[in-house]
Amino acid sequence: MILNNIYELRWKVLPPAAGVAMIGMAALALITAPTEVVEGDVQRLLYVHLPSALASYFAFSVTAVCSVLFLLKRDFKWDSAAQGAAIVGLIFTLLTLMTGSLWGKPIWGVYWQWDPRITTTLILFLIFSAYLIARKSTSLDSDKSARFCSIYAIIGFLDIPLIHMSVRWWRTLHPQPIIAKLNPALPDEMLLVTLVSVLAVILVAAWFITLGIETELLSQRLLKLKAIGKANISEKS
Amino acid sequence: MTFTTQLEIGLKLFNANLKQAWRDKTNWMTAGMFAITALLLYSFAFNLTGGLVRNLLPGVIWTVFLFSGIFATAQSFQQDRQNGILDALKISPIHPMTIYIAKTLTNILMLLLIEFALLLGATILFSEPLFIPQLLLIVTIGTIGYTALSTLLSAINLDRNNGGLLLPVLALPLLVPLLIASVEATSASLQEEANTAPWILLLSLFTIWSAAIATLMFPLAD
Repeated sequence: MILNNIYELRWKVLPPAAGVAMIGMAALALITAPTEVVEGDVQRLLYVHLPSALASYFAFSVTAVCSVLFLLKRDFKWDSAAQGAAIVGLIFTLLTLMTGSLWGKPIWGVYWQWDPRITTTLILFLIFSAYLIARKSTSLDSDKSARFCSIYAIIGFLDIPLIHMSVRWWRTLHPQPIIAKLNPALPDEMLLVTLVSVLAVILVAAWFITLGIETELLSQRLLKLKAIGKANISEKS
Repeated sequence: MTFTTQLEIGLKLFNANLKQAWRDKTNWMTAGMFAITALLLYSFAFNLTGGLVRNLLPGVIWTVFLFSGIFATAQSFQQDRQNGILDALKISPIHPMTIYIAKTLTNILMLLLIEFALLLGATILFSEPLFIPQLLLIVTIGTIGYTALSTLLSAINLDRNNGGLLLPVLALPLLVPLLIASVEATSASLQEEANTAPWILLLSLFTIWSAAIATLMFPLAD
């Protein structure tokens, strides 16, 4: 009941909150945040990169939770929610990989490193792309397909820690390339901008997820209406 | 139904699956031929001779195993479905887990036969000691791991026209930890002083995880 009430507020709260937070993030990241001494302006990509990665994890978590709920309740709204969140997750994963590569070229000298986090993110992208291909290759109202894809999404989500662990061991036991690394202890001003960026991007992701869910729900309604229309036509003829 | 009854039925199903696999050898023969052809192609592509063999062979072996294994298991439930056996089993009091375990065990056994034969062939072709107990153990653990997952995915993928094409796309990203652990364990087992224990541990962990999750998820797919 409380969750339903919160969800009802989605159009009133999410777009303005995300908009204000994004304007704040842009102003802080481009004007207020100091330029990093070693990396220069390219470091500002961090304010998009890190929040995008967190937003993608958030979206895929929503997919996994909704998939569990679909298997338990067999209500298609949970399947729609899982699909809508997966699309948003893929967009933010792609953004994470792209901003990471753009940052990597001037800092590491290459666009791609076989670093555990980057590799895990790429595999995450492949798993949920496969999920969406499988889900979209059959009818939206197919109970079997929805069940199968929910199972796949859950397995894929649970596989992530194992993938990360295996890639980390794989890299650790191999010779490490000498690379420049970000100092994890960020100065206070940068930390503040990062936190605001995380909040802004998570709000945008939540809004996009809502839009994705609504789109999928409308697609399912359209499908049902088409089926009713067809049945009426065949009855008349 | 009691556990003992399920076990008895499971053994009977396993036996029936083996007989069916023996009668209709096409699927397994194709998988075996695919594995041999892929191994030969890799040896031409990477020029697997001399000192390079030991470095490249683990990766070559495991990619061949994974591709041929996934193609072979893609058809696991196809014939059962066409003959109406799957529908009959579904309405029977047999627990779905029993059906899944019997089918997975059949797939594991058939794939191990192909893989051991391939290791024997590779031992002769590349003059490397590949038919050693430690490597056979690694291959067995790895095969149990990927077959558990690919058999589940083949079952849930059954109703699709493009199922055969989709299965590798679905399965391979999930099998990355298994591939890494298997290749590294194989590589370590081919070197005299390397330590295989951490990789066998990771491989066993993945195998237990995939077998447990696939067995638990199969009834939900039914």
